[in-house]
Amino acid sequence: MSEGAVLLEVRGLGRRFEPRADRGEAVFAIRDLSFDVREQEFLTIVGPSGSGKSTLLNLIAQIDAPTEGEIRFRGRPIAAATAGALRPGWDRQFGYVTQDDTLLPWRTLIENVLFPLRVQGRLSAQTRDRASELMSTVGLEGFERYYPHELSGGMRKRAALIRTLVYDPPVILMDEPFGALDAQTRTQLQADLLRLWNLGRKTIVFVTHDIAEAIALGDRTLVFTRAPARVQSEHRIPIARPRDVRTIYGVDGFAETYERIRKELQ
Amino acid sequence: MIVRGRVALGVLCLAIWQAGHWALGADWISGPVDIVRRLAEITASGELARHTMATLSEAALGFLLGGGAGMLLPFALRRSPRLTAALDPFFTAAMGVPKLALAPLLILWFGIGVMSKVVFVAAVVFFFLFFNVLAGVRSIDPRLAAAVRVLGAREWTVTWEIAWHTALPYVFTGLKVALPRAISAAVVGEFIAADRGLGYYINTARAMADPVGLFTGVTVVTVLVLAIDAGLERVQARSLAWRPLARDATV
Amino acid sequence: MSGGRALRDRVLVALAVLIVWQVAALVCGPHWISPPLMTARRFGQLALNGELARHALYTLAAAAGGFVVGGVPGAVLPFALRRAPRLAAILDPYLVAGYGMPKLALAPLFILWFGIGLASKMALVASIAFFLIFFSTAAGVRGTDVRLVAMARVAGASEQAVARHVVWPSAVPYVFAGLKISLSYAIGAAVVGELISSNRGLGYLIQAGANDFDTTTVFAALTALTLLIVGLNALVEAAERRLLRWRPVDAQPARRLVTAA
Repeated sequence: MSEGAVLLEVRGLGRRFEPRADRGEAVFAIRDLSFDVREQEFLTIVGPSGSGKSTLLNLIAQIDAPTEGEIRFRGRPIAAATAGALRPGWDRQFGYVTQDDTLLPWRTLIENVLFPLRVQGRLSAQTRDRASELMSTVGLEGFERYYPHELSGGMRKRAALIRTLVYDPPVILMDEPFGALDAQTRTQLQADLLRLWNLGRKTIVFVTHDIAEAIALGDRTLVFTRAPARVQSEHRIPIARPRDVRTIYGVDGFAETYERIRKELQ
Repeated sequence: MIVRGRVALGVLCLAIWQAGHWALGADWISGPVDIVRRLAEITASGELARHTMATLSEAALGFLLGGGAGMLLPFALRRSPRLTAALDPFFTAAMGVPKLALAPLLILWFGIGVMSKVVFVAAVVFFFLFFNVLAGVRSIDPRLAAAVRVLGAREWTVTWEIAWHTALPYVFTGLKVALPRAISAAVVGEFIAADRGLGYYINTARAMADPVGLFTGVTVVTVLVLAIDAGLERVQARSLAWRPLARDATV
Repeated sequence: MSGGRALRDRVLVALAVLIVWQVAALVCGPHWISPPLMTARRFGQLALNGELARHALYTLAAAAGGFVVGGVPGAVLPFALRRAPRLAAILDPYLVAGYGMPKLALAPLFILWFGIGLASKMALVASIAFFLIFFSTAAGVRGTDVRLVAMARVAGASEQAVARHVVWPSAVPYVFAGLKISLSYAIGAAVVGELISSNRGLGYLIQAGANDFDTTTVFAALTALTLLIVGLNALVEAAERRLLRWRPVDAQPARRLVTAA
């Protein structure tokens, strides 16, 4: 569990949503939110539903703009209430995996995985090999020519994962990526994720409402309050790596961390 | 069993047709035999080719004109939801007006030549395609668009990759509906005033008390339209192989 | 977007249309494009001397009559076919062919058989209305939630009761959709029949005006036609709203043209 320099800083971040025509007042999804993310750390964020966790990721990924505060990446501000146009993905520095798999339904699996390389103009024999490797790592080789609707939920999720990994962004944002899967597939994918993370030690910000998942995967867990969300507390996960997701529940330190966080969320 | 039932029904229809011809006489219903004979005549004399070409070219030109505009306009309007909302009731009203009622006006403006039919077909086709493609463009999943932008796609790619592919099933529905209608519109335009074309042939036959000619013309138009329909069905099936269910996206 | 702004936008567009119309009339001359005021005046004339009403009613009668003759069987058939799936399968390609076949191209045939009076127009409308209503009703019948049907049967309902209390209400939204579409087609078909040969009706008025190079009458008649259709549409929508009160409010996304993404 190496801890590097601070990579991402969130300072006093706030996002206010305007009232709709028929509804009352404006709502703050997040307000006065501050925390750091260190290089190569696996940070998990847990909080009650509707606590602005998705909003936070949207702001970092630059598909939405904050109304207060700022976000700094490698020391440079990348998002602020006064900033200009958004740059989604911030020049491929950020990957973003959401709960709904956003694979292009009209493209085959391999076309989907190669898609970011194609639009970034980085298709080459090398990158194609890398894509094939990734597909093998998650057990998808042989399914290149299949269309998304012909694959199971777990397979589509794996494809969405490697589609992000294929262009090597240093930071990967994940918004309850395994939420739509059944328990067994979820465990399998959590194991796959840890394996992939080990191979390339990226920085991951992983949002979930499942405390057990947050502890099993993360180096550190932030607990968010209800909307307007702020950081309620921070927990260092005292479990050594490498971890086996399937047997993690019995490991020392898991139960008490779980209890601590659960109490806070009540 | 079902196939046999269909064939049986088809044979039954032909039998009724022939019976009707014998019972009511050639003035009311022409028999299939007479029609085939007339078909052979006008094919040999080149008349069939001449009229068919006239109608098809009117339909094709009008289709390109109206279809092109109908397909492209929704993509342009995509960038301005406000304008689209403002235009909404006018388009719906314009869609409601039977374009066929405009035929005499168009003939007044453009004469009885090809031009009036082309404009007419264009008007008819435009609305079909426009509403279908608009529905397609509207159905774009914004999450898909956002995800693709994060992956590094520029606006142009978003439009091409997502808007186009999402709208494609709707484009096909529009085309399938519009193509036969283009032919129909050309034919109807020719009913009203023309100097050539299948519609001209049919209407002239009626006016000159030539039922066989009328039936023959109608048969040609029917076969033409059904053939085009079937052809489009094939093309659509192949291009939309990626879809879970080969179902039309209806508006 | 607030309703007030939308309304203002539409009024602006309407004004823009009127302006473009007037300019076009000025540029091309009243002989080619009848200016708005002149058209309105002629419209008033025809309305006052009763001619407009006479022709409009003729067209309406053809459309309504044909609609009933064709639409009623079209609405009933899907219910009958529901209990005979094999017959439905046999008929299917013929019905699809009939639907795809442009009936308007058959107009001269109807005139040959039924003469140049009201009957031929009604027949034409009926042939079109039948297929439109049939397919939309069939979609509604097919779309009935099978679980609701099963529930009704378990509760002891006869097949007739199931049809009346479960299938029909389920199909009603689709029937209305079919109705709205058929409306303009029905009027359109009546007009086409009149254009080809008739001595009464709005289509006749348009054709007669065109023959006399009386563009103003043509424009006035077209305006009357548009108003007729818009009015009928509004009636159908009002009826729909009343009959479909049970539907969740945003079940009609097709109403608005606002784009997303």
